[in-house]
Formats: sequence, C-alpha cells, structure tokens
Amino acid sequence: MLITDKPHGLFVCHECDALQNISGIKPGNVASCVCCGSTLFKNPKGGLERPLALLIASAIMFLVANVYPVMTINIAGIVQSATLTDSAMIFIQLGNPELAAAVWIPSVLLPGSIIFGLLYVLLSIRFSMGLPYTKPILVLVSRFLPFGMMDVFFLGVLVALVKLVALADVLLGAGFYAFIALILCYAAATASYEPHILWERLERKPRRQKEAVS
Amino acid sequence: MSNSIVRAKAQGVAGCHICGQVVALHKKSHAVCPRCGCDVHYRKHDSINRAWALLISAFIMYIPANTEPMMYTTSFGEQGSDTIMSGVMYFLSHGDWPLALVIFSASVLLPLLKMMAIAYILIMVQMGATHRKIENTRLYAIAELMGKWSMVDIFVVALLTALVQLGALTTIEPGPAGLAFAAMVILTMFSAMAFDPKLIWDQTEE
Repeated sequence: MLITDKPHGLFVCHECDALQNISGIKPGNVASCVCCGSTLFKNPKGGLERPLALLIASAIMFLVANVYPVMTINIAGIVQSATLTDSAMIFIQLGNPELAAAVWIPSVLLPGSIIFGLLYVLLSIRFSMGLPYTKPILVLVSRFLPFGMMDVFFLGVLVALVKLVALADVLLGAGFYAFIALILCYAAATASYEPHILWERLERKPRRQKEAVS
Repeated sequence: MSNSIVRAKAQGVAGCHICGQVVALHKKSHAVCPRCGCDVHYRKHDSINRAWALLISAFIMYIPANTEPMMYTTSFGEQGSDTIMSGVMYFLSHGDWPLALVIFSASVLLPLLKMMAIAYILIMVQMGATHRKIENTRLYAIAELMGKWSMVDIFVVALLTALVQLGALTTIEPGPAGLAFAAMVILTMFSAMAFDPKLIWDQTEE
C-alpha cells in the first residue's frame, strides 16, 4: 500500500482523524485508512484523460436529456410529453414552487453545475490554461456532489413508466435514452477523478495566475 | 486498534474537508485553508446538538410524509388520493412485488433506518462508548450515502403530474405529503452532514 514512487504527503482521515503519510499510490490502487479502513486516496487509472472524456460525454448527454422529452403518453388520442425540467415546472404552474425547487435543484441544477464545473476545472488543468476561478468552482463542485440525485431520478422514471404503462400508450423519447447514457457517464466520471490530485495540480501553478491578476 | 495511530487533533493539525490539505491549527479551533480558502476545524461546530435538532425535525416531517396523500388523481370526475403505502399496496395487488419492494424500502424503511442509525450513533457518542468504533463509522458512512434514495417517490409524482394533465379525462396533482417528504429527506441529509464521525474516535483520548 505504501510503495513510493510519487509522494503525496500527509493525510488526515475524514472519518476518524488518523494522521498518516501516504505516498506513491500506483494508478488503479486505493489507499485505505490504517485505523478505520475508509478510503483516503485513490489513484484512478487513466489519469485526467478518462474523467475528461467521460465529462465531455456527460455534458453532451446532459444537454440532450434536458432538451428532448423523457417520455410521451397517449391516452385516447390525447398526447402529452415531458422533459426533465417540465416535471419540475408543472409544480410552479400548480402553485407549488417549493416542490418544484425540491425536484429541479437536485435533478437538473446541481448535476449540471457539477458536470460543467468539473469539466472547466479539468480542461484548465489538463491543457495548462490557467483559467480563472478554478479553485472556487472546485470547492462548489465538492459541496454540491452529495446533493446530485440524477440516479435517484432515473429510478423514479422507471417507476413512473411502470405506472403509466398500465393506463396509457407510452413512447420513450430521445431524452430517456440520453438519460441512461448520462447516468452511466456521470457515475463513471465522478468515480474516476480524485479531488486531491486536482488540488495538487491547481496549486502547482499559482504564480502564473497571480501574475495575470496583478 | 493499535496505539501507534496518531490523531491529527493531538498533533495540532486538521484536514481540510474540501481539499484535504493538512493545516496546522495549534490552539485555535479553526482557520482558513491556505489552498482552497474553506474553513478548517478540528471538529464540526456544535456537531451533536445540530445533528439532533435536524434529526428530530426530520422525524416530525416523516409522519405527515407517510400519512398525508402523496398525490390526487381525478379520473372522469372521480377523485382519489394516494399515500405512499397505498401506492405500495397498488403494486402488490397487481403482482408487481419488486416495484412494491423498491417503493416501500426507499420511502418507508430506508428513512426510518437512516434516522435510527444516526440517533444510535449520537447516543453512543454521548454515552462515551469506546467499543465498536469501526462498525459505527461504517454505519455512519452507509447512512450518509443511502439517504438520497428516499427522494424517488417525489420524482415519480413529479413525472406523473407533468405527463397526466389530460383535462377532463385524467389529471394528477401533488398532495401535501410531497413537501413533507422532501423536507424529511433534506433534513436527514443535513443531520448526517452535521455530525462529525471523528467524535466516535475521540472517546479514549479524553
């Protein structure tokens, strides 16, 4: 576990506060806390390229999934379709904006911010672009991450589908298939980046950013 | 575990929650992380009180979330209402037991188990328990992860409401349970986040 080829320095376990020195975790390996066993650091295979590719795919699928309807139903000739955002906006029309927020924020706003925010930070690091505001954006991404609920929403889509099939003709839209691709890409992207590595890379060239500011 | 483990707090340092930077705090209780600019502290501020307050609020919300109607269905002028449990019964009566199981565990069982898990850990910490630290830490991590899945029924109602707006034929409208449910899920998530798992490990050192 502690074979060195690249130092990563001191780590404090978020769960149990154990202070430990971790270094040279090879790609594909994970460092676990010596005390409580929770994951301290992972060095995913594929470096920055893999999460970058997956995030670009996620961003495209996110746009498709939000523009095209998830499904269309047909009851006795009356046709109705809904996109992801429609399913939240209906609550505003029905005079329930709090519920609209409870649906729209975790299923559209936060995942979208995470995808595009992380993409911005990774592009800046990978191509040494030194783009502004990368640090606050990465902070926001870390804070938003636990509240993104696209995967839960997808389970909701499946349950709604089963309920609707019993009472109407249901046609799955392009948004539905894009949503499946989005969930897979998003899950793989968020699992294939290690925030510690990003923070280290961001810190490596603060001088250039400071010069640009002053 | 072994005595060779060094706690960060005993060394006067703390790990930044956002970027992982190890920051020297010494006598101060918190500082600003030099790397990401976030607040770094030994332990989350007033962790146990905040976790309890949020947990109790969540439990209060759990009651209307399960007893009030989740949605109203108007079909050919005939009005019906559905609570979470009547939805589960609907799936069961149609032989759809896997779906009934998904809804029942996500909406009824999971939130209850999560709230019980957080309450159990809080009581253990307050009693100063020194055993089963690893198990309690895992329990906390699991409770923190699984909370969001309880939102599934709100998303179902959202989709059904958006799609089934067919005028005189059939309309679906959300009931009062929806907001109570969302509040319950978000409050339990905040409660889990307010709690600091490091408190589980502080016991022997004091």
